[in-house]
Amino acid sequence: MIGWRSRRWEVLWLVSAMALIAFVVFPLIFMVSTSFKPPEEQLLAPPTILPVNPTLDNYQSALGQETFFRYLANSIMVTVATTILSISIGAFATFGFTRLRFSGRRTLLVLVVLGQLVPLAAIAVPLYQMANGLGLIDYLPALVLAYLAMSLPVTVWMLRSYMRNIPRELEEAAIVDGCTELGAFWRIVLPLSAPGIAATASYVFFLVWQEFLFVLIFTTRPENRTLPVGILDFVGQFETNWGNLMAASMLMAIPAMLAFVIIQRRLIAGLTEGSVKS
Amino acid sequence: MAGRRGSANGVDPAGPRVVVADASAGRHWSKSWSRQLLGYLAVGPVVLLLMALLVYPLLRTFNQSLYDVRPALQKNEFVGLDGFSDLIADPIFWTVFVNSLVWTIAVVGLQFAVGMLGAFVLDRAFPGRWLLRGLAILPWAIPGVVAAMVWRLIYDPQIGTLQIITGPLGIPPLDVLGRPGSALWGVIFAAVWKGFPFWMLIVLAALQSVPKEQVEAAAIDGAGHVGVFRNVMLPSMAPVIRIGVILTSIWTFNYFEMVYVMTKGGPVQSSHIFPTIIYEEAFRKLDFGDSSRFAVISMLLLLVLAIFFVREARKSEAL
Repeated sequence: MIGWRSRRWEVLWLVSAMALIAFVVFPLIFMVSTSFKPPEEQLLAPPTILPVNPTLDNYQSALGQETFFRYLANSIMVTVATTILSISIGAFATFGFTRLRFSGRRTLLVLVVLGQLVPLAAIAVPLYQMANGLGLIDYLPALVLAYLAMSLPVTVWMLRSYMRNIPRELEEAAIVDGCTELGAFWRIVLPLSAPGIAATASYVFFLVWQEFLFVLIFTTRPENRTLPVGILDFVGQFETNWGNLMAASMLMAIPAMLAFVIIQRRLIAGLTEGSVKS
Repeated sequence: MAGRRGSANGVDPAGPRVVVADASAGRHWSKSWSRQLLGYLAVGPVVLLLMALLVYPLLRTFNQSLYDVRPALQKNEFVGLDGFSDLIADPIFWTVFVNSLVWTIAVVGLQFAVGMLGAFVLDRAFPGRWLLRGLAILPWAIPGVVAAMVWRLIYDPQIGTLQIITGPLGIPPLDVLGRPGSALWGVIFAAVWKGFPFWMLIVLAALQSVPKEQVEAAAIDGAGHVGVFRNVMLPSMAPVIRIGVILTSIWTFNYFEMVYVMTKGGPVQSSHIFPTIIYEEAFRKLDFGDSSRFAVISMLLLLVLAIFFVREARKSEAL
């Protein structure tokens, strides 16, 4: 910007940049380096910044545990199932909310969107009681169902912010040409909102992938846990196996981070609605 | 703003629905009737699922808050509002109440501050900008449990990596999470680290929407950096910042796992916030009544934020 290049300004910028990097990187470094430290080195005080004798043992022993794959498989199943269900049911509802007019539309929309604001902890007890009454504790499809309570509101909220910006003229042309309302939505709106759907799906994936409270409540047997609760196996009562824990954490975090960095631009626009222009 | 995009090209977001129906006047009635039906069919599954999984459980929580429910003692008796007055008389309630406010305000405020700093750094061209941007987003992308464990490692009194900073400064190792006075702040700091990238991205996107001509005009007119920021940039970023404050306040208020994983609400219950006490009362003490009462009070507090949310969303024509 014009007139913004003074010397003092440059120094201020440089200091800010370094502060930002230090703040972000400090925890990340220890996450990565601890995962490569051999056991003796993990307990050094003061700790080393980078591992002196880097090793892959922690990854090997995390992956060597049968339970890890069990958690991973559960995580993948639950997350993928929730994402697919949430997007398909949510997209159909968004079609109704953005393209059709029926009495009560606005009220229902506000109700759905307000669902985003409900604290999961507040519905945890009754959901637990319901699941318990039906004998669904430790039954993963029930966990998926519970996750829909969390994912559907945000799915509709985000999809709607993408779909409402697709001009209706395109559909109208198709409808004049003999397409049904639903057909026009299927053939025109859905393909055009593919990037928005991808961003929404990634966000749902990301939310469910790390969800913690419901797993804690809805599963009692270790073999039914997902990764967020599962990795805490390495936290002992008196001693924590930090190397294995960080290795497992890395394995859990990497897919989420990759997905995230790719979709982040669209995500912000979707979450804050049109109030941010892209 | 949301609506502007829609109305700028002459499209009402809800759609000029009559145009098509009027084309064949005779079928008008049946068409609009079938459209109504299609509408209910389309939103039906979501509405029914949310009724069963969100609204019904909420009603049950409200109902249960009027009872003394302790399954281990085989207790389930109606106590009306007495449960609430007992709860409010209990000091733990006020600890949780104050903690939740401190937690929400401090986390959102500090995230905003660090996010602004990040946006200030990234809102210009420099070599490696994309790399720094990607790096700065990572904390937000890390699962909450993982972030919580990383910060537990940092704060660990024996092998904690915080010593690398405090050691040379001559500060003895601090047991941040082990002391009632500092435990909550330890988690707050970790949550700021985890959540600030959202703010950074919001502010960056908002900065790009500031009209460049206005900034230049103000600069030519002799406004300093502060003046340009306050008089030109801040007003045009205000709507985005408002919706961001509301959203992040709600997320933070409801955030469970960081406090739970880092302190479990301790030591001596000093760092409980609403979500963690709701969990603890229900699933550790098996007191479903008190748990529901905490949940009801936390939802009343959230209601205030929800009203702001709907009002802001309406204003920017997002709802």
